[in-house]
Amino acid sequence: MTEILKIDGLSFKYPDSPRKAVSDFDLEIPEGEIVALAGPSGCGKSTLLRTVNGLIPHMYSGDYSGDVLVAGTSVKGSSMRDLAQNVGFLFQNPENQIFMFSVERDVAFGLENLGVPRAEMRKRVDEAIDLLGISSLAQRAPHELSDGQKQRVALAGVLAMRPRLVILDEPMSLLDPKTASELVELVEKLRKELGTTFVVVEHRLDLLVKHADRLVVMSSGRKVIEGSPREVLFGDEAESYGVSVPAVTKVQRMLADDGAVPRDRLMSPPELATAVRGALR
Amino acid sequence: MMWISGGFVFRRGTSAYHKLDPRVKLLISLLMFVATLLVKAVYEMAVVIAFMVAVAAVATVLKRVLRTMAFTALFSAFIFGVNMLATRNLFSSTLYATRFVAIVVSTSLFFITTSPDELEQVMKTFRFPRDIVFAFVTAVRFIPVMMLDTIQIMDAQKSRGLELEKGNILRRVRNMIPILIPLVVNSVVRSGELAEAMESRAYGAVPRPTSLVAYRAGGRDVAVAAAAVLVFALTAYSFYYILPLHLP
Repeated sequence: MTEILKIDGLSFKYPDSPRKAVSDFDLEIPEGEIVALAGPSGCGKSTLLRTVNGLIPHMYSGDYSGDVLVAGTSVKGSSMRDLAQNVGFLFQNPENQIFMFSVERDVAFGLENLGVPRAEMRKRVDEAIDLLGISSLAQRAPHELSDGQKQRVALAGVLAMRPRLVILDEPMSLLDPKTASELVELVEKLRKELGTTFVVVEHRLDLLVKHADRLVVMSSGRKVIEGSPREVLFGDEAESYGVSVPAVTKVQRMLADDGAVPRDRLMSPPELATAVRGALR
Repeated sequence: MMWISGGFVFRRGTSAYHKLDPRVKLLISLLMFVATLLVKAVYEMAVVIAFMVAVAAVATVLKRVLRTMAFTALFSAFIFGVNMLATRNLFSSTLYATRFVAIVVSTSLFFITTSPDELEQVMKTFRFPRDIVFAFVTAVRFIPVMMLDTIQIMDAQKSRGLELEKGNILRRVRNMIPILIPLVVNSVVRSGELAEAMESRAYGAVPRPTSLVAYRAGGRDVAVAAAAVLVFALTAYSFYYILPLHLP
């Protein structure tokens, strides 16, 4: 598999900041993976994400060294126009990324900006709307939507541009648990159906670990841990960086230490329950 | 505030008038507007206003328009009073007062039946620069968001002991400062986030962006526009040449 994203020795410092927001960062993501990025607030996650879709250095300048390659092309040398077609960015607050008065017009926004012909645009907008199951909302105005619906609309607008890599910046922070788990299932579905790569920043890992191929932990601008969710969450370091290890994993870890359950994979609550029942018999 | 929202804020409707091409609706409102400026007698103004009421009825917004007229009448009573004092002419004072009502109604008819999407289309027709159109679109789009923001800030400040409804006028204006500052700060943060999201979705990538929705004036729109111009011309002609009744 080829790498859709390659970050190579990246450092970035904002002009008025005394320390680097991201320093000596390396990361390679093969196409089609779901990568979870975790770390305490202010650790540089947001800055890192903005270097991937080109907001840094194209919109924010600063001391930039190293390189970021999206689909083999350097972000520094690409225009925002080209980047927008390769990298989709779902920001934390969906409210501030919906521009138009109707859902379908907003989903079309990026395509309109790219000058996509109307017939083609209609097709891609309908596809994105179907994919996210929001056809019943197509004519609604943004203020008639719930937060979860806004999130879907914003994501549809991102997907209509058919990016190969999608960044989700704390997509669940405004969602209730049910809507949040629906979102995670949706991400998995999109990865399966479209082969889209996802980088998801999230504190609440319990929902995400099921589908994530990789977990990256950042602290003070550096990558401190990288591995499969199992390796990272069974390790001792993750919690010291403020990663919230899902309760079920903590229990599994304790039981595994006693040899009661296996530690070769992360178990979901039903799996763990079954294993415990088996051990009790 | 209520007056403005009742008289000028679009609410979705399904009438034939709502479905007209926005440019035709603009034309009709403009013609009515010009008509109010042309008339020279109170009975002529009555004809024009009757026409507006008829349009409002067709557009199924009669109730809202009548309410707007009632509110406007409060202002026009003032205009009437000042004119009476200055000119002591009952007819011209009545004309000026009713003209104010008619102007408000003609404009209001356009805004309450035209969605922001259609307004955008009208601006594009007149070749407004893309940035200006987009600024307008986002401004309208964020009105409900800002209103919600304001309510939340007011509640937050009230819960911290701010008494908005106390004191004389000066004091009340000063009381608004703790509301305005967070509101402005919020908006600045919001505009930063909007700018990022715009960049991420290729805003400004091509000089002539395409549009998902095509607005094309159909045969009915052309017919209505032609009829409106004809009615306007006939009315104006009859006021000036056929029926100069020399009534007040």
